[in-house]
Amino acid sequence: MNRNTFSYKLRQILMFAGPGTILFFAVVVVPFIYGLYLTFTSWDGVSAHKPFVGFANYAAAFSDGAYWVALGRTAIYSIFAVVFINILAFALAYLVTSGVKGQNFFRAGFFVPNLIGGIVLGYIWKFVFNRAYVAIASAITGGMAISPLSTTGGAMFCLIFVSVWQYAGYMMLIYVAGFMSVSDSLKEAAMIDGCTPSQAMRNVTIPLMRSSFVQCIFLSITRCFVVYDVNLSLTKGEPFNTSVLAAMHVYNQAFTYKNYGLGQAEALILFIVCAAVGITQVMIGKKGEVEA
Amino acid sequence: MKKSTVKKLLVAMLSFAMIFAMAACGGGSSEGEEASSEGAAGALKIFNSKMEIQDVFESDLASAYEAEAGVPVEVYYSSDTVAAHLSTKYASKDPYAVNMVDEKDLYSLAKEYGADMSDMDWVKDTNYAVSVDGKVVGYPVCVEARGIIYNATAIENTLGEKFDPASIKTLDDFKALLDKLVAAGMETPTSVMKEDWSLGAHYLAQFIEEREDVDGYVASLKAGEAKVIEDPKFNALMDTFDVLKDYSMWKGQEGSAERELSEQALAEGKIAFMFGGNWDFAMMKDFDYTGGAGMMPVPQNLEDDYTGKLVGGGSKYFYVDASEGTSAETQQAAKDFLAWFASSDTAHKFVSETCGMVSPFGSNTVTCTDDLGASVKGFADADMLIPNYPGFPDDHYSVIGAEMQKYLAGQCTREELATAIENYWKAQA
Amino acid sequence: MTQNEKAAKAKKRNHAIMIIILILLFILFIMPFILVIINVFKTKADIVTDPLALVGAHGFTMQNFPDAMAKMNFFNVFKNSLIITILSTVLTIFVSAMASFVIVRNGKWKFCSGLFALMVASMVIPFQVLMVPLVSVYGGIFGVLNHRITLILMHTGFSVSMATFMFHGAIHTNIPLELEEAALIDGCSRWQTFWKVVFPLLKPTIATVAIIDAMAFWNDYLLPSLVLTDKALYTIPIATQAFYGTYSTDIGLVMAALLLAMLPILILYLFLQKYIVAGVTSGAVKG
Repeated sequence: MNRNTFSYKLRQILMFAGPGTILFFAVVVVPFIYGLYLTFTSWDGVSAHKPFVGFANYAAAFSDGAYWVALGRTAIYSIFAVVFINILAFALAYLVTSGVKGQNFFRAGFFVPNLIGGIVLGYIWKFVFNRAYVAIASAITGGMAISPLSTTGGAMFCLIFVSVWQYAGYMMLIYVAGFMSVSDSLKEAAMIDGCTPSQAMRNVTIPLMRSSFVQCIFLSITRCFVVYDVNLSLTKGEPFNTSVLAAMHVYNQAFTYKNYGLGQAEALILFIVCAAVGITQVMIGKKGEVEA
Repeated sequence: MKKSTVKKLLVAMLSFAMIFAMAACGGGSSEGEEASSEGAAGALKIFNSKMEIQDVFESDLASAYEAEAGVPVEVYYSSDTVAAHLSTKYASKDPYAVNMVDEKDLYSLAKEYGADMSDMDWVKDTNYAVSVDGKVVGYPVCVEARGIIYNATAIENTLGEKFDPASIKTLDDFKALLDKLVAAGMETPTSVMKEDWSLGAHYLAQFIEEREDVDGYVASLKAGEAKVIEDPKFNALMDTFDVLKDYSMWKGQEGSAERELSEQALAEGKIAFMFGGNWDFAMMKDFDYTGGAGMMPVPQNLEDDYTGKLVGGGSKYFYVDASEGTSAETQQAAKDFLAWFASSDTAHKFVSETCGMVSPFGSNTVTCTDDLGASVKGFADADMLIPNYPGFPDDHYSVIGAEMQKYLAGQCTREELATAIENYWKAQA
Repeated sequence: MTQNEKAAKAKKRNHAIMIIILILLFILFIMPFILVIINVFKTKADIVTDPLALVGAHGFTMQNFPDAMAKMNFFNVFKNSLIITILSTVLTIFVSAMASFVIVRNGKWKFCSGLFALMVASMVIPFQVLMVPLVSVYGGIFGVLNHRITLILMHTGFSVSMATFMFHGAIHTNIPLELEEAALIDGCSRWQTFWKVVFPLLKPTIATVAIIDAMAFWNDYLLPSLVLTDKALYTIPIATQAFYGTYSTDIGLVMAALLLAMLPILILYLFLQKYIVAGVTSGAVKG
């Protein structure tokens, strides 16, 4: 069979990738292109009229100071969150696959934060920071502690902390699958060859888990750049709008302030920045991937 | 081993195919249900954006209307923001027939889609109908007002004497009372919330709303002519704000001033005053409420035409959708519902008793069951409400609210706040 | 001898330290969950007063559960959520595993590499950006909203990129090409090779994708709320939205609904965990 003809390729692609590709184009690409068109209009989000304004929204986006501040803040938040999420997730995955007693029990526990989403999560953590922390800190210092959520740096710290707490268990899942896919015989072989466990980890396990790292880092970057619900339920952008992240700014711009076209244009810029970061990371990561 | 895996896989695929076929049928049957429900009954779709009343709206009122008028009603609610939710409904060409929105949304949504209700009877029965481009499109759902909420029971228990809110006219009166309360053992008699909408849209907005020529003042702000720091109204209100802040239960902890805890402290009589509005009662009544709460104007050391009045008016408006997505019959059915909602005894009882809201309609004589509502009703009936200013830009509450939060937390001076307000308005020009 | 004892001792000590670290982390991770359990048996006023108290001033109450169940029409929305989640998850796994197979094994074809890059890039699009255009196209133009099948297909379309991304990594690193070639030589077609050789080897990744996607579908609010407007089709998250208001949240009901809703996902997770382990020990990779 000639595997290089066009018809062979086409058949293969249609057979395997056809259904997924069609669905993907239908619900992601088509609306995205329509959304792209909307960035060239001054639509308010509800009107039947969508006046074409050319690049005016992009000009407005570039001069929207609050947006760039939010974007910068998002970048800082993402750097910290991504690093800590992955360190913690990897450590958790290592611990729960190392054969300690009750590891399934632990795995379930670390996974639980994923099940508490949205408003409940915000409510509980707000209580922890505003009251439990204040009570404990006041008791320890003897003075009156203030809630970290009410200070500029504190609110950002809380956002990062809660994101790490929430996503570490999620990324742990992927790292666990990665650990599991490295066969024990390889590790044993390395140990027999005189490697210490930590050497085996560094030289055998981690290289073989490269795709897990690429996946987890990419997923955490994408999650962090567009984070919205934790931002809304935990800080609402407070204090004094100093914890408004990019997605929240975009959402407010489009719907609350009724500048849909501008909001969409700002979202597009956010998308381009985030895609550039994410794809660069994947490219670098995939290059060195070990093939089985 | 391998064979069994393959077998399992085949079984899985087969069951998948079966489920899929079932779902397709399920989808088909739901299609049928839907078509029948829409075709035969033609339920009137109402969008409600007051979460507090969603339950009773859906159960009590919808069934009462169906029983009386024979038209089924479906009430929808969304936890997404109103503008975003309605935006998607219009985008999918599936709008609600009756939509409950805030006044500012009327100027975008109802301006384009709202049916003209100018000739309906209810318009003559209320002072709060909203017209856009000369047409009445906004149907007021209730009246809400903001001011200082007091807990008379708490004050009387602490001081051992009768409390008359009318005796507090000026800031000096107010401060004297606070000092007495402190002396009698109530260490922190007030609360100020930190929410940006409360600080920006409700408290600070008063300095623009409490004047003769609001539009003229806003124009001079936009032109950069008005000097906010020299404005007597601004200073009077900020003086009062300083006092509220000084005696606050959140002093030193302003950033954690959670609304629920303030409401609880007030309801249970641990504090005596809080800046808020009659909507706060929905939460207050859930705590160990002492009774005796009411509303009074924000006391200021500035006697003018606005002394003794609350700021408020219609809150939440219905508009009837007249876009191509709603047929003429449905529009008529929607108008019929609104007519009934304004005039029938069932609806009057629903508004004033079940929901404890202040009815905007003169013909509704049912006593409001909610203490703060009853208080607001008193002001409304005596024509003592200063209208809300509808011309604030959509981001006003957020930007100015953030500046007020800074002021509340002691991170900026009154001069800086005034400059920030001036700069905000200049940028709007 | 002594060295062995030393090593054994060190091992034991390491083990103990690990257990302690695990327990501390475990407490940190499930503490909020414990708070949910404590508070679900309290009245709303007691929750606000002191979420830490074991029993509120108004005593122990079970009322939040029947209230939440009645208000959200629990059994119907549970059934809807179940149908939608199961079908979307299964469909996502099948179409994504297939797509990633052809993409990995034919990485040099421009279409494949282009498609993969497009999918990876699309994962970064915030959903809020797509929601209005999405309903404009499928509601405004085609009018296909308000069917379960539409939601299932949309769920699949939105998650196919991430699932493909994950299968891509797994096939790339963990499936030896020799196995496939052997199957091809044995006379299997590509299609048969995929289902008989590759797909079974993907079990750990399938389990991971299944749990991640099932959880996302089960908890998703925004997309279902756009697609399903008929109350009979509501899923759990849409049915509970009336518990959240701008000015007040019925936190007791929210927590009760949360507990009722999270159980199936927890069970699914515990069940699939075993699969993640089993996938490796089945040993076909070593083959």
